[in-house]
Order: sequence, then structure tokens, then C-alpha cells
Amino acid sequence: MNKVLITGSEAAAIGAKLAKIEVLGYYPITPAFPAMERLSKYIEDGELNCKFIRVESDHSALAAVLGGSLAGARSYTVTNSQGLLLMTEVVYHVAGLRQPIVMGVANRALSAPHSRFPEHGDAVSQGASGWIQLFSENNQDVLDNTIQAFRIAEERRTPVMVNYEGYIQSHTLEEVFVPEQDKVDAFLPLKRMPALDVSDPRGVNTVAGPDVYTDYKYIQNAAMEQALTIIPTVAAEYNKVFGANSCGLVEGYMMEDAEHVIAAMGSIVSTARLLVDELRKQGKKIGLIKVRAWRPFPVQAVKELLHNVKFVTVLDKNIVFGVGGALATDIKANLYGQGNMVINGVILGLGGGKCGVKEIKEAVDHTESSETNKNRSEWIGL
Amino acid sequence: MAVKSLPIVPSGDPGALAEASNYSTWRILRPEITEPDKVNPIVTLYCPDGALTLEESGVALNYKFCKGCGICAKESAGIRMAPEYTGPKGVF
Repeated sequence: MNKVLITGSEAAAIGAKLAKIEVLGYYPITPAFPAMERLSKYIEDGELNCKFIRVESDHSALAAVLGGSLAGARSYTVTNSQGLLLMTEVVYHVAGLRQPIVMGVANRALSAPHSRFPEHGDAVSQGASGWIQLFSENNQDVLDNTIQAFRIAEERRTPVMVNYEGYIQSHTLEEVFVPEQDKVDAFLPLKRMPALDVSDPRGVNTVAGPDVYTDYKYIQNAAMEQALTIIPTVAAEYNKVFGANSCGLVEGYMMEDAEHVIAAMGSIVSTARLLVDELRKQGKKIGLIKVRAWRPFPVQAVKELLHNVKFVTVLDKNIVFGVGGALATDIKANLYGQGNMVINGVILGLGGGKCGVKEIKEAVDHTESSETNKNRSEWIGL
Repeated sequence: MAVKSLPIVPSGDPGALAEASNYSTWRILRPEITEPDKVNPIVTLYCPDGALTLEESGVALNYKFCKGCGICAKESAGIRMAPEYTGPKGVF
């Protein structure tokens, strides 16, 4: 295990390199581009034997990667925000065609108005697409998630998005442990599943009539639900082999006697940890859950962690207009009928807005205040 | 109900779509060749579904691909459109 100081983009690139990707399709976009730059350097230097396909748009980038995957190659791409939106049509194709593609997403706010700053809006916009979505708390998570994503994707034939926030992670240096290549090779044996075969030609993505379409979607959803058992299994094996600290679906922090719990995903989890540590010192019974897998949503794990708490503050760096934060909506829906807790959905840090310890503390205080209207999302940092 | 057995990657054998689909269920009216001698062979080119073909014995109809649009009956003598369903009115 080699300790290096790298950005999240480099962590994603190193993860993909260790996974020995064979097809890389890419169209430049900020802040995802450093991962592609690094990967193209590996290819140029002969460290990675991979076909780099340069295309004219993000839509084509994922289409090229889909072609590579259908031919049986381990395929990867990176994008964010507007690029992900332009890809959307192919995002659904990939999921429906059950291709084990892994995509890094350097989360960035969506236009309009134009923004280049971090938030989860782009990932959330693809919440119904049929991709498994893992969120990374720090650069170590980015590397660990990328390697594990290939295992999960190939086990369940379901594509995986590895989310890490633009700039906060993609451009910030952190200490990261990089596993050895031979151990990764053993952990990640290449499982070829070509859908294209010249000796047995078939029409891929043919029209499915009303008689079979529902069945296709049922099977696709079942694979997604089975991922709920695969994700923790793969994380446990990864931790054992590499001495890492991946949390599976969700991680509970200081949850033993917690009465108030903060739920979050992505980089804001690190910030929330600081607040939890501080409040614990003051004697407050507060805990934290880090949602690593947002899709499939870990209903059972979240239920178990929250079964005995009084207050839940859900931090969302995204907004689903007319509904509220995506994570808060999911947690509320899945805790229906359980207990009598107060769940406060908080929207903060949109488009790079402030979401430090001070803002999270404000959210936590509001949750326990009787004056807050819990039926509406609360906005912090206006 | 049991889930149907389907390929993991949604796909089909070459030509499977043309062979398997039965769009004839869309039909409400069906063309019938009433007077073969009067049928103008050019209607084989007017048919949008290729359901009419020119055989040695004359113009032939393939009901598997016919959706019942009625273009052939409009363009040629010797063909008429007849109701596909003959049950009580409003009941198919």
C-alpha cells in the first residue's frame, strides 16, 4: 500500500487504471477533465493498454463507451453536470442494456443560471436511470469506490456512477492509500460478457412490445435490488484485502445512544463529522449516517440505524423542485409508518454555497426548534 | 404471474421482429380480393406494409403484415374492405 498526495480526479484515474480499463470515451468538461488528462497520460506512457476514443460530445462519449462494453471491453468515462444531462439518453440505454460501465461524475451544479460549482443536482437528475450511485466522502473513497464499482457492475450487470464533488474533491489534494496492482488484479478478475458476437449476430436493443417491456423492467429492477446485498459484500472483501475502510451501503457514526442524527452523502459528511465530534464533547447525543449508496436506496439499513432516534436532520446539496431534497424525500418515504421522529429536510450548499460546520449547526438547531415547519424543506444560506 | 424468460441484454435474432410481431391485431377492417381479374397489380407498390405481393397467379394478400389501412381497396378495383369482427355491435 502506497501513500500519495493526490486530487479526487487523480484518485478516479488511478482507480480506473488499476481496474485496467480497455475503452475510455471522453469529451472535455470542467471539473471532470483532470481525470481524463491523467488517464490519457497513462495510455500515452504505455502504462495502460486502453483505447481512448475522442468524440464530439458527451452523448457520443457514453455511446462510444457503450459500444466498447457491448463488445465485451471493460469501459469507463468521466463527466459532470451539463455533460451528464447531454448523455442522459445513453445513460438510460446503458442501464436498460445491462452494461457494466463505470462512470465518474465530478458533481457540479446545473444550468440555468450557469454555475461551475459543486452540488449533487447532476447525480440526482439521474436517480431514476437505473444506475447504481455511490457517493464519495473523500479522495480515498473516490479511489476505493471506483475499484469496487467495476466488481459491483460486473456482478449485477448494472452500471455504476461514482460521484465525487467538483473542486471540493476533484481539485483538492488529500492523502490517499493506493493499492498494489497485483492485489487489484486478484480482487477484480475481468469478467467478459460481450453482447456482440460476429459468429452469432443478434439485434441489440430491438423493439420490446407491451408483452415483454414490463418483464424487462422488472428484471432490471430486481438486479438493482440484489445490488443491495452485493455492495456490502464487495466492500467487506475490499476492506479485508486492502485494509481499507469502505462502509458498504451506509455508515453510522456515533450512533449508539444518538437521539439526533444527521444524514448526508458526499463531501459534506466530513464536515458533519466535525460538528458531531464537537457536539458530543458538549454532551449532546448526536450521531451521523453517511449514505454511500444512494441508488439502490438502502431502505433496511437506514431503517435499522434510525429506529430509535427522535430527530433527523437530512442535508441535501440538491433540490428536486416542488418536492425538496432527494435524500430527505427518500428517507421520509422509506421510514413511513415507523416511529414518531421529526425529519427535517435541509437544502444547503447549492452551486457551491456555504455548507460548513456553522451552517450544519444552524440546521441541527432548527430541527429541534418547535417553530420550524417540518413539512417544508428548510433552506440554509439564503 | 411469473416473469418471462428474456435475454439479459434486450436483443433478438436477426429478423425476429418481422417474424414474431403480429400487428394484424391492429386491424378493424380487412381487405378481401373479391374479383381477382380486376385487381390492378400496381397496388403491390402502394401497400405501406408489403402485405400485397405479385405472384404468378395474380395479386396475393398476406394478412400477417396487413394493418387494414384500406389503401389497396381505394386504389384498385376488385378489393373491398370487410369488417374484421362480426360479433355484436361494440363487442370485438
